Amino acid sequence: MAIDVRHITKSFANYTALKDVSLRVDDGELVALLGPSGSGKTTLLRIIAGLEAHDPNEQSSVHVDGSGPRVGFVFQHYALFRHMTVFENVAFGLRVRPRSLRPSDKEIRRRVDELLDLIQLSRWAGRYPSQLSGGQRQRVALARALAIEPSVLLLDEPFGALDARVRQELRRWLRTLQERIKVTTVLVTHDQEEALEVADRVVIMNEGRIEQAGTPDEVFHNPASEFVVTFLGNVNLFHGRVESVDAKQARVFVRPHELDIERQQLNEFYIPAKITRIQSAGPVVRVDLVDEQNQEIAVDLTHDRHRYLALKPRETVFVKVREARVFVPNYEI
Amino acid sequence: MRRTLISVSAAFVGTLILLPVIAVFTEAFRKGIGLYLASITDPLALAALRLTLLTAAVTLAFNLVFGLAASWLIAKFSFPGRNLLLSLIDLPFAVSPVISGLVFVLLFGAQGWFGNRGVQIVFATPGVILATIFVTFPFIARELIPLMQEQGTEEEEAAVLLGANGWQIFRRVTLPNIRWALLYGVVLANARAMGEFGAVSVVSGHIRGRTNTLPLHVEILYNEYNFAAAFAVASLLALLAVVTLIAKAIIERKIVKHGD
Repeated sequence: MAIDVRHITKSFANYTALKDVSLRVDDGELVALLGPSGSGKTTLLRIIAGLEAHDPNEQSSVHVDGSGPRVGFVFQHYALFRHMTVFENVAFGLRVRPRSLRPSDKEIRRRVDELLDLIQLSRWAGRYPSQLSGGQRQRVALARALAIEPSVLLLDEPFGALDARVRQELRRWLRTLQERIKVTTVLVTHDQEEALEVADRVVIMNEGRIEQAGTPDEVFHNPASEFVVTFLGNVNLFHGRVESVDAKQARVFVRPHELDIERQQLNEFYIPAKITRIQSAGPVVRVDLVDEQNQEIAVDLTHDRHRYLALKPRETVFVKVREARVFVPNYEI
Repeated sequence: MRRTLISVSAAFVGTLILLPVIAVFTEAFRKGIGLYLASITDPLALAALRLTLLTAAVTLAFNLVFGLAASWLIAKFSFPGRNLLLSLIDLPFAVSPVISGLVFVLLFGAQGWFGNRGVQIVFATPGVILATIFVTFPFIARELIPLMQEQGTEEEEAAVLLGANGWQIFRRVTLPNIRWALLYGVVLANARAMGEFGAVSVVSGHIRGRTNTLPLHVEILYNEYNFAAAFAVASLLALLAVVTLIAKAIIERKIVKHGD
């Protein structure tokens, strides 16, 4: 166990950021803390790092493996030392060690060069942070955190300030790097795609609580709550009644790719709807429709299916539900 | 439009700043270089110069420490009374220097609250220094607080997590980030310290050779109708001001270049 957080509550002057949160992270695991802003994910990360103190409580405890300053932290806005070169930024953690633990200048040079090589910025060693692009700064921040050979690596929205392409590239790069050096990693993000792609395990947070923790597969296919369904990607909401459960009000969630479109209404469950927009630039074709109650429905079709149906805007067609998730208040099926 | 603006500002700068400076130097040399040298090497003038430099040095040393500490505290921490401290730092800018001088006389004078405690403060060097510190202490803090607030605390947090101790963080992260702004504040405070008249005038007592700073010495000479000598000594102050201005210009260029 690399990180073991138990029953943590954190209150600020006028709100509670974390409510009795427990989290365990195994050695070498990459865990993503996913949630909207204000869900407490960054606060939890800062508590693990020791930058913030949790409310004192007998059951509360935070345990992080390793002795001394062995937490590598990467800030959302990099927090590079602006008056130091790339080389000096990376060397900082080694240079500030007490004399007895400090490597020789030659050793520091060797290790920093190695890290600069790893982040592919050897040529930029003499540059200042202001002379680098966002993606390069982020890599320097990562190298600086890795220089102290941390037992855990904590990343706070590491790709949040970068544009989409660089973000994808860095995400993949981080994944390979993490597999290579096997350092326990916790990553905070509000981007569900990022979390599902990068992490071994995803922890979904909402309003200071953990809603669900599991592999990307588990949380995506077996969401534990309405919040998790709605947060993990687009979803259509239908209101209905569940016959078997005392005729309670039920809410039905269906993802766009779990819907299909037909030209004929083969049974009563097909929903008649009018096409408002077809967006076919992308891996799937997104069709937006409105049903007779003026409710919006989004459907994802494969390009093949779309070609076969030959849909046109303002046509009336029938939406078929292939799979669905039902949530009844205080009752789950 | 641009031409109008340029000529208006040129006219203002010319009449309000350039002309007086020229006048100071012309008047100083009117009776010849001999009298000029005699005036500025006069023992009383030299004593005033010494006191001015001593006052400026002590004031700067104090303000450097206080300014840094206060800015650090205000910019990087939040605590009860923070806004009160911020307003108190501005107080010397709001109060007339003569009034602040009077307050020191009230506190430390012979009949004052803390008077007659063995050490003479008012009408002696400590009073001059105290009054100067009081009127100059906002300069450095005012220069640093906005900058430090803008820079935030993330770099310091990063340094902590990389294992740096408090002193290392200050020396290697905080100080280099504010060095030019700090120097700029020092230059401004220095200019004010050397030129301060009002507050010092009240607490000094004008004892020639003992508690006279350069500005006070100029006033005395002027009141004695010793114009040539007054302007000669004033030209010394003007020279100090020019040196300060050049230092300021150099630092400003550095600030633009380094963005801090």
